[in-house]
Amino acid sequence: MGASYLAVGWNRQKKIYDWLIFGFCVLYLATFVVLTAIFNPDYTFETVLIRATSTLAVIILHVILSIGPLTRINKKFLPLLYNRRHLGVTMFCIILVHGSFSILQFHSLGNENPFVSLFTSNTHFGSLADFPFQALGFFALIIFFLMAITSHDFWLHNLSPKVWKTLHMFVYLAYFLVVMHVMLGVIQYETNPVFIIIMLTGSFTLITLHLIAGTREVKKDNVIYKLKQDGYVLVCDIKDIQEDRAKMFCVDAERIAVYKTGGKLFAVNNVCKHQNGPLGEGKVIDGCITCPWHGYQYLPQNGQSPPPFKEKVSTYDVKIEGTHVWLNPKAYAEGTERPGAVISVVNAE
Amino acid sequence: MSTVTVILSAIALYLVAGIIFTIIFQLKGLSKIDEGVHGSSWGFRIIIIPGCIVFWTILLRKWIKANKEIINPPKEHA
Repeated sequence: MGASYLAVGWNRQKKIYDWLIFGFCVLYLATFVVLTAIFNPDYTFETVLIRATSTLAVIILHVILSIGPLTRINKKFLPLLYNRRHLGVTMFCIILVHGSFSILQFHSLGNENPFVSLFTSNTHFGSLADFPFQALGFFALIIFFLMAITSHDFWLHNLSPKVWKTLHMFVYLAYFLVVMHVMLGVIQYETNPVFIIIMLTGSFTLITLHLIAGTREVKKDNVIYKLKQDGYVLVCDIKDIQEDRAKMFCVDAERIAVYKTGGKLFAVNNVCKHQNGPLGEGKVIDGCITCPWHGYQYLPQNGQSPPPFKEKVSTYDVKIEGTHVWLNPKAYAEGTERPGAVISVVNAE
Repeated sequence: MSTVTVILSAIALYLVAGIIFTIIFQLKGLSKIDEGVHGSSWGFRIIIIPGCIVFWTILLRKWIKANKEIINPPKEHA
């Protein structure tokens, strides 16, 4: 980043997104409380809050984990991805309420330190029926905490994108811990099948979406380009690429986006420097390649973000013969200016 | 003292050190490690506090490195 940091870079879309999240959470919690008051009037306030926040958090967690594969399957889901980190922080806040009230209710009434009690009150690690499931939830909470506090771009920059991405991939471990926390907890305390139905439906949906999206990615990456000459490979026809859009090609393990804009073709590395978003699925806005995930921009001719930003991606040579597009997968240093390939009227016809 | 108590005490000590570091770092070090901090908002400084407390060792290392570069600038910047 080259510009000054803000707490939140608010815009109209983010405000609408956050209001929708807030509205949904309030509506869900209110409905849960009312229904519990009707059907289980003997439940305490703490119990209702623990249950309401747990189910809400599990639902939001499934939505968060679905957004990635959904956007790979259909671009219409991209608006959900744009502000996913706010959804993540919201989920953490809800889980924090759940965890705090759980520790208060179950571990703060004795002489023992509540955190010590959490790990020592139940040590039946060898028993499925009595497994200390609360500890699993606590570890998941810690992972969500680390993700929430590093959700600002300052941390992406200062922990390095690689470390940041690795840290945030721990969400899948956290998800596994949540699944085990819910399932083992249900075995011990719950007779209502709703909890187990939510969890199983969510897990099945997530696995299916990830498999569909993953299969598509593998197919794209495994395309073999047979025609080669002078280091170039034949990738497509000019007409295959729409104006101000790109097509992504994986050649020699390099993911490259070939953009058509302003009567030329340009090739840049497909991976956005921000959060590894797929630049080839973006479009040209105001003369810049714009990442579909969070709007990071790069100039097509040199792969550099316009000032004051300083991100750079690799560039590549691309040429046109007849109507065929040829791409050289040998990367130039990040930010290297390339002339691009001019589309003549004859080529375009 | 149980193992759990020892581990939790060590974590607590680490976090207390993080709080002390964060106070000094916010006053003197933050703007040295990242140029994006110049002209940043107060909201930003507040929002990164929990992260500073947890990841203070990483930030301290970056701060020391930034100070060394001020004293001995890298050749390309000299």
